[in-house]
Amino acid sequence: MGKIAIIAGREFNERVRKKSFIITTILMPIAFVAIMFVPVLMMNIQSDEKHEIVVVDQSGTIAPKMQDSATIDYTSSDRTLEELTAEQQDIFGILIIGSDVATNPSNVQLLTYESSTINIESEITDQIRTILEAEKLKAYNIEDIDSILEAIKTPVSLKVKQLGESGETKESSSILNIALAYIFGFLIYMFVFLYGNMVMQGVIEEKSNKVMEVMVSSVKPFQLMMGKILGIASVAVTQFVIWVVFILVVGGVAMSLFGVSDMMAAATASAAMDPAAMMGAAEMPAMDGELLAVLGTITDPTYLLRILGGFLVYFIGGYLLYAAMFAAVGSAVDNEKDTNNLQLPITIPLILAIFVMMSAMQDPHGPLAFWFSLIPFTSPVVMMVRLPYGVPGWELALSIGLLVATFVAMVYLAGKIYRVGVFMYGKKPTLGELAKWIRYK
Amino acid sequence: MEELIRVENVTKRFAGHTALDNVSLTIPRGVVYGLLGPNGAGKTTLIRIINRITAPDSGKVWFNGHPLSPADVPHIGYLPEERGLYKTMKVGEQALYFAQLKGLSKAEATRRLKAWFVKFGIESWWNKKVSELSKGMAQKVQFIVTVLHEPELLIFDEPFSGFDPINANLLKEEILALRDKGATVIFSTHNMSSVEEVCDHITLINKSHNILSGSLNEIRRSHGGNIFEIDHRGSQEALVAALAAAPCTLLDTSISDDEAVQSAGSSLLKIHIPNDEDVRDVVAIINNHTSLRSFREVIPSMNDIFIRAVAGKL
Repeated sequence: MGKIAIIAGREFNERVRKKSFIITTILMPIAFVAIMFVPVLMMNIQSDEKHEIVVVDQSGTIAPKMQDSATIDYTSSDRTLEELTAEQQDIFGILIIGSDVATNPSNVQLLTYESSTINIESEITDQIRTILEAEKLKAYNIEDIDSILEAIKTPVSLKVKQLGESGETKESSSILNIALAYIFGFLIYMFVFLYGNMVMQGVIEEKSNKVMEVMVSSVKPFQLMMGKILGIASVAVTQFVIWVVFILVVGGVAMSLFGVSDMMAAATASAAMDPAAMMGAAEMPAMDGELLAVLGTITDPTYLLRILGGFLVYFIGGYLLYAAMFAAVGSAVDNEKDTNNLQLPITIPLILAIFVMMSAMQDPHGPLAFWFSLIPFTSPVVMMVRLPYGVPGWELALSIGLLVATFVAMVYLAGKIYRVGVFMYGKKPTLGELAKWIRYK
Repeated sequence: MEELIRVENVTKRFAGHTALDNVSLTIPRGVVYGLLGPNGAGKTTLIRIINRITAPDSGKVWFNGHPLSPADVPHIGYLPEERGLYKTMKVGEQALYFAQLKGLSKAEATRRLKAWFVKFGIESWWNKKVSELSKGMAQKVQFIVTVLHEPELLIFDEPFSGFDPINANLLKEEILALRDKGATVIFSTHNMSSVEEVCDHITLINKSHNILSGSLNEIRRSHGGNIFEIDHRGSQEALVAALAAAPCTLLDTSISDDEAVQSAGSSLLKIHIPNDEDVRDVVAIINNHTSLRSFREVIPSMNDIFIRAVAGKL
């Protein structure tokens, strides 16, 4: 054990001090935050740009009622299409509303100079639809129709609470569950692949450097393999812990900068000022409820513990299982080019796990998710997807038990392959030969 | 002499060829044992078997009187032909790492390493990366790492390749010093001059077979071929004429062309005396015709023996 610790210590020190480790450790959370915030920023930037659309309304009923939105300015025009196209070029497009639009609502055309977007199109159709519907309602001659319409607007917000076994309720947020399931499932996949590969490259380096020959008189190949696997595991855990701390700090700062209450206040204020944003205002309470649920869930310590604890257990289990296989492959070849075939048994179950993960996110308690969260080769990824939704204790115990048993067996088998492979030069072995090496004495 | 290692009828086959065919040899304790042979003869395979990197297909290896077991491996220090160091690691750190894996405490390892670094004059390398060192420099580091834990058995595979004469000499002296301290050294090479300077015993392996084994002096003497060198002060022609009647064959008079020898007023002559003739008869004839300065048997160099042995002319 002492020697394994010395070897693991070297692996850890060497890798943690590398520039590439420091850079990825810093850049990954920034990239992560960027992935989450950039789309929001992009939407803000987009909304600043106004599109000018000239409306040629042959019916005469729609154009006066069209209201400029955040992204589109409407200008009504009496001229014909031919006249307009002859001179005006600096506008986004021309909207032609047919004279019979009330009876034939598909008689609306948008001619654009640039390519149009779904947002603009739906904005226009929404406006025309609302105007037409209001017109049709008016035709029924109901008194105070405007105030009635205003009065019947009813925003509905669904508060979801999950029933515990003893009947108590807790906040539950499907959005958060899906997000966490996705993030952590993918993180395990990425970590196992990334750090497993690191093990393989390390083994290949040691073999081609002939360091193994020097070490053979002082360490057993198995110790060398385990030391490397554990050393790199501690690098991974260190990196993960740094990220968690970093995300908590950045998240905390972001929360206090653009506090939840500020965001809500801004939204209500803009809704009050801009009648066109009424739709948005109507949606606010629903968002509010969702946000509360997210906050309620994410600050629940047992929930957090389940996710983070589960992540560590499944990452370490999955990593040990796959790293042992990566080490065996690395020991069998002379250079990285030869690893392709041998890596297949490693990459296929991992990629399968990602496919199952996608469907498990839709149906976290279905038979597919259930079985693949028990099979050790896919359980680290698939179980991470199920964990946010809550998994029965016995399933979790069985899944972890199977994972531990499999990685112990795999480390044993890989150790045997490693011991033979690491001194084998100049040969490109097949999978069949690797299986044979296991039986060597 | 007490034996440290005995290799008994070891055979090792690889897919295409037989690397070792029924090889036996005995390595006495406390000697420098040369393992000689042309490239591809099976030297490295034999070393790897002694190291327990590979197992023989048949045959046995004894260590200190018991069958070689994994527990013996820590008593072996091995310097492979292709040097193995982590390129991106610093020299000092790396040496410490290997030393700790060999069971030395960090403090003890540091103490010994510093002493070795001073001895080799490489203190300033401690914080250099291995990738910054030249091949010879890296080999010095590797040598230190190999001997640092003072193992009972040291195995050097081509230790002098890549060294300049000064450093090769330094290494030779250290190898002899280690032997004098009680270590047994196995030393694989095809550089014959280093063999004469360093080895006590040798085994010559050719085409997977042990073709010659024994103490270096005995081997050289027994392959002398009864050739003698005469150093005399007098007329070379007269002596040559006189020896025509003696029971010997003239071999080589060319050495007498050597200016230094001639200016000293003496001449050299090489003759072969068949086994069944009495050397004293020849010496008597020489004595009668010239003033003899020296008469000695020519012991062949290891190089000659090696080439003749490999060519199958022994």
